[in-house]
Amino acid sequence: MVDPVAVRKTVLRMLYEGKASHLGPSMSVVEMLIAIYGSLDLARVRARSPDRSRVIVSKGHCAAATYAVMAHFGLIDLDRLRTYCQDGSALAGHVSHAVERVEHSTGALGHGLSVACGCAIGLRSRGYEGSHVYALVGDGELQEGSVWEALMFARHHRLSRLIPLVDDNRISSITRTAEVIDMRPLRDRFEGFGFRVHEVDGHDVGAITRAIREVQAGSETSVILCETVKGRGVPFAEDEPIWHYRTLGEDDYRAALAHLEGMEGEA
Amino acid sequence: MRGRILDSLFRRMGEDEDPFFLTGDMGIQLVEKFQEAFPRRYLNVGIAEQNLVAISAGLCNLGYRPFAYTISQFMTLRCYEQIRNDVSLHAYPITLLGTATGFDNAPLGPSHHVLDDWGAIRNLPGIDIYCPSAVPYAETLVDKVLAAGRPAYIRIPKGQFERPSSLLDTVYLEGRGAGDLLVSYGGCVQSCLEVQGAHPEVSVLAIHRLRPLETEAVEDALRRHPRAFVVEDHFPATGLFNTLCQFCVERGVRTGLRSVGTLATYPLTVGASARYYHEAFGIDVRGIERAIWG
Repeated sequence: MVDPVAVRKTVLRMLYEGKASHLGPSMSVVEMLIAIYGSLDLARVRARSPDRSRVIVSKGHCAAATYAVMAHFGLIDLDRLRTYCQDGSALAGHVSHAVERVEHSTGALGHGLSVACGCAIGLRSRGYEGSHVYALVGDGELQEGSVWEALMFARHHRLSRLIPLVDDNRISSITRTAEVIDMRPLRDRFEGFGFRVHEVDGHDVGAITRAIREVQAGSETSVILCETVKGRGVPFAEDEPIWHYRTLGEDDYRAALAHLEGMEGEA
Repeated sequence: MRGRILDSLFRRMGEDEDPFFLTGDMGIQLVEKFQEAFPRRYLNVGIAEQNLVAISAGLCNLGYRPFAYTISQFMTLRCYEQIRNDVSLHAYPITLLGTATGFDNAPLGPSHHVLDDWGAIRNLPGIDIYCPSAVPYAETLVDKVLAAGRPAYIRIPKGQFERPSSLLDTVYLEGRGAGDLLVSYGGCVQSCLEVQGAHPEVSVLAIHRLRPLETEAVEDALRRHPRAFVVEDHFPATGLFNTLCQFCVERGVRTGLRSVGTLATYPLTVGASARYYHEAFGIDVRGIERAIWG
């Protein structure tokens, strides 16, 4: 199994060497991405089989985490991650289809879930009934109206092969979501739109994986709400809005790395 | 004209497994047959243009060739970022079918006037742009975009015009004698043909494919005439006039290029038909004649 601490160390190095932002949202989604990629038939993904399951990372700003998890699953060369946010690299600060095995470029919020709906309809129309589309969406991203266009559509068409996972880290860009647009409790919003809601600890790979399997086994339109902590694993960044944008200085990096090394083996 | 384009799409969907038709809940008595004949390749996504385009992108990921259909204004501007990121950036072969051009929806007010659509799309890389001026050419468009395999926007005028009957992307209708050139597209071509009927020395260049321009045909026509007048139901600042200014500079074509009329604002007064606005902005037959002869 891919170790979340190892992934976080990779993410930390990418952000530090790339002088890149988005530490907070990259750390909150690590276990979600491990559960998603751990649920895929990787051979089909590598072969780009038409009937493969798809991953659409709608909150494209967690690119460092996406690429790190893909690398730990053998879908990207680990050494290539050192080019993150460097001149001439394909590994930009938002998820890009210029990187092999990335299904769709994102970055502007509110696009990915609709694209995932299109993939789910396409899988159904092509008769690839055994495949799924995973859509990773941010809780701040739910403020985009287009997300609700997609949710209404998904429910109307009973897209049970679509698996939206919401990174509920309770901070959007610079402010806590409850202070921007308070949608709590999210369960009510999704149930109001006709979704079956699964609520899980977003830092428990086993719990997320079980929820994914439960959705796969059922035939309902579902969503998995993952309760997470922004900046998870980096004590000074946890639940701190500033770490959506702040970049790591050397002292920050050394302190965060030391903390993660102390956690190794705990997961 | 839209019905004839949809007929040709319907035919291709019967022959080919990849075309997929999506509507933003538009096209009553035109789209129902798609649902009946091709239920697995038909979607009505509702009044949700952002979703319309992004779902089309997801379908491309599965190898489909989506045709997304709604009113031009909403097909281009409401979902502009989806066209930018999910279509242009990915070079997905999605065809945007926009109904109505210019003042086709005259009395419905400025929200439904289509004056700034293709100028916006022109700003995005890699999207072919078509605006047919007559049915014979319009009926070839579905085959053209499927063969091209690129993103495309088809701006569909109202009307069942049969002239020009040519199937070429750029049609040069030479006048008799040394007259000026009228350059136009879409419904405005009809006014140009009327001017030519009254003044046979005038030549007309109807450009059905606005992007990429058919370089040789356009350049050849412009070089034949010391003066060329652009007639369009779109803001000239981002439309064909602007396009041809750039074209002439880049190609070293020295011609007296002028924009006909004064279309530069959204009108707040009501016009019962397009004729009212064409007269008001000087892009009708009289306006064209004034531009040429004063």
